[in-house]
Parts: sequence; structure tokens; C-alpha cells
Amino acid sequence: MKTSELEAGWFPAGLQNYVLPKTAGRVMIFDNDIALWRGEDGKIRAWENRCPHRGMRLSYGIVRGNTLTCLYHGWTYDGAGACAGIPAHPELTPPKTIRAKAYRAADSGGFIWVANPDETTEAPSIEGDWVPNRSVHIDLAPTSLNELIKGMDAELALKITDRAAVVRVPGVTGEILLAFLNMKEHGAMIHTSIPASASVDAAIAVSKLTGRLRQIFKASSAA
Amino acid sequence: MIQLHDYPLSGNCFKVRFLLEQLGLDYQSILVDFYPGYEHKSPRFLDINPLGQLPAIVDDGEAIRDAQAILVYLAAAYDNSDKWFPRDRQGEVYQWLAFADQLTGSISAARLHDAMFYRLDVGKARSDGVRLLRVIDEHLWFAEKDDLEWLLPLPHPTIGDVACFPYIALAEEGGIDLAPFSSVSRWVERFMRLEGFKPMPGMMPLPMPKETP
Repeated sequence: MKTSELEAGWFPAGLQNYVLPKTAGRVMIFDNDIALWRGEDGKIRAWENRCPHRGMRLSYGIVRGNTLTCLYHGWTYDGAGACAGIPAHPELTPPKTIRAKAYRAADSGGFIWVANPDETTEAPSIEGDWVPNRSVHIDLAPTSLNELIKGMDAELALKITDRAAVVRVPGVTGEILLAFLNMKEHGAMIHTSIPASASVDAAIAVSKLTGRLRQIFKASSAA
Repeated sequence: MIQLHDYPLSGNCFKVRFLLEQLGLDYQSILVDFYPGYEHKSPRFLDINPLGQLPAIVDDGEAIRDAQAILVYLAAAYDNSDKWFPRDRQGEVYQWLAFADQLTGSISAARLHDAMFYRLDVGKARSDGVRLLRVIDEHLWFAEKDDLEWLLPLPHPTIGDVACFPYIALAEEGGIDLAPFSSVSRWVERFMRLEGFKPMPGMMPLPMPKETP
């Protein structure tokens, strides 16, 4: 299992409602397998998707309170990644060296953002009141934000990161938040947020435009 | 008593077990050694289903085959609540039953390849499966926009949900990642929290306790 670092900066890992409180999910960032989870406190956490005990995916784990319990042998980790209990050794206080590798994670603009543990910049703060709209899976990642914007016939309003921007799209009044995530051989994700004040029609129009990107960013062998 | 010719690792058998239990029907599970015994191709079983496919039920001496057909039969014969197979929405239900058949031909085929060493074009099976997941993900996204949770615009699941659920929940066993399909993932999670839900091997994550102890 690979434990390499992500490229520098913050990655749009998914929509905020992809991981609801008291649940866990999974995301691939390039070929890094990452578990996302929220405790009862609603705080988003991103860890290497690998239990330090036997390598089981932590995204299969069970959230209780603000801890995550591995499905395999029940090793439990607190919100910061430290092992807090091992069922087979109930009397043992787990050594401090047993930790899940934690990335930085934050909610902003309706997206979940993930970065390396030692990322020095803060997660993008995006002005306005945004709500998650739709995530769409496509076969191939755009090579750049510009290519994505061009593919969507959009007009750049404000660049947020190399992978996210506020844009205007045809047929929709107002601005939307657009981002892409490269998952290498797993394809790519396009994420959109819309202003909280946007209509249902706008939400549907944005969803349809995103869906059409599949025709542009498709594997050459796909029909 | 209804006899179910059953295999614990079959998603199509899971659907029938789930509905039988939801309807509170007594049944006898007759295990068929699908893999590695290929008992579903044995003369004993071919007498019940000449297609040699699981599941099949025998009710009052009458054999009925095909998972989707059995769901329709059971709901029509035994569901007095009109909940699982609503009479005024049969078209929509049949649409999802047909969709479930396509899931059997794609995601289930990929799983047979990976888990039971069937020889078939697994690349095609997976890409067909992804195409279907995109369609149902969009459908469920629209449902969520209307504060709905199931495939039909009703406050409860129908046999359409039951038919589509198992092979979607088992997609990872066929090498298909569900993470990109967030509306589908939430629907799977809801299904696993239904009262009386019992997971079969391969259905993960397990349903969570309703309340934190």
C-alpha cells in the first residue's frame, strides 16, 4: 500500500453531503486511498484508508460518537487518529505510536477539501453561501482547470485553486462553484456547488451540464 | 410452506429472502451448492428450473423461477398493504425490475468473474455496470432534490428497490467502486438501515446502530 504524499495544495475531495455525520466514506486522490468520516460533532476527517493493525480500509469502519472503529478487529481511533482501544486487550492503554495517518481536512463552499498533513496554507475560504449540488463521475480527468472550463462552455469569474473556480455557465443566472478531482485509473470527479439562493431549475441545469462532460472527457475506447 | 432454493452468496437469492422476511412469511431455505458444486445445473435442480438459475421457489406445489418474477409473485399474493408492489405504479416498478436484470448481466457478472472465476469479458461487464450506476445515481439525485429516499416517489421502498439493491451493494466484489456515486451510496446506506435488514457476506459497511450506545 502506497503512503506517498499528495501534491501540494488543497484538493476538492467531494461534496459536503457525501459524508454525513456519523458515517464514513472513501475518496481516491490520484492513487491515494483516503477514508473520510464525520463524528457526531460533524467535523470532517481525512485519514489514510488503512487500519494500522491489518491494513483494512478504515472507510468500512463504524463511527461511534467522535471515534472511528475498524470493521475488522474493532481497533478504535479518536478524532485525531490516536488508537483509543483494542477489544482483544481491554486492559491495555494503546501505545501512542499506534496512529492512523491523518491528512488535513476542511469544509468550505459546499465541498470537502483535503491536503497533506504538513500543508502550510489554509483551506480555501470561498465568499458567499454555497450548497453542494452534484458530483459526476467521468472517465478521464481534464488536464487543467482551463480545459474543464472550456469543456463546460463556462466563463471564469474567480480562480480558487488549480482545481476549482467560481464560473458562469450557459443558461444559468448567477455563478456556480466548479471543481475537478483526478483519481487516475479510477477516472475523475466533477463537483459543483450553487448559491443557497439558486432555484431548483438552476440546480438541475448545472447537473445536466456536468453530466454532458462525460461525452468530452471519455476514454478513447468507450462507446 | 414456501420452499426457497437458495444460495447464501447470491444477490438474487438475497432479494427473495429479504421480501419473504419483510412480509413475515415462513419459508424453508433449501441450499443449492452453486459454487464450486454447480448444483444448479444438476438434474435435481433442473426439474425445478430448467434454466438452471437461482433462485426458484415452490409455493403450494407450484415452481416459480427468476428473482424479479418471484418478487412480483410474493408481493401480489401476500402483501395486503399494497406497499411493496403498488397497483397504481406498476409501470415504474417494472422499469426498475428490468433495470435490476441489467445489473445481473453486468455487476453480478463482474462479481462472478472476480469471486467465482467465471470466464467472461470483465472489462465490458464493469463498464456496463458503471453506465447503469450513472443512470440510477442521477435518478436518485433527482429524488433527493424532492426530499424523497427511494426509487419511486413514495415514502417507503418497493420491490423495485429490493430488486436493484443487492448487486449495487455488492459492486465492490466485482471491482466496481461505489464512491463516485454519492446518491447511490446514500440510498444503499438507507436500505441497510431498514427494520429487519440482515446483511449477506460482502455487504459492507455494515448497518450502523440506530443510536450510539
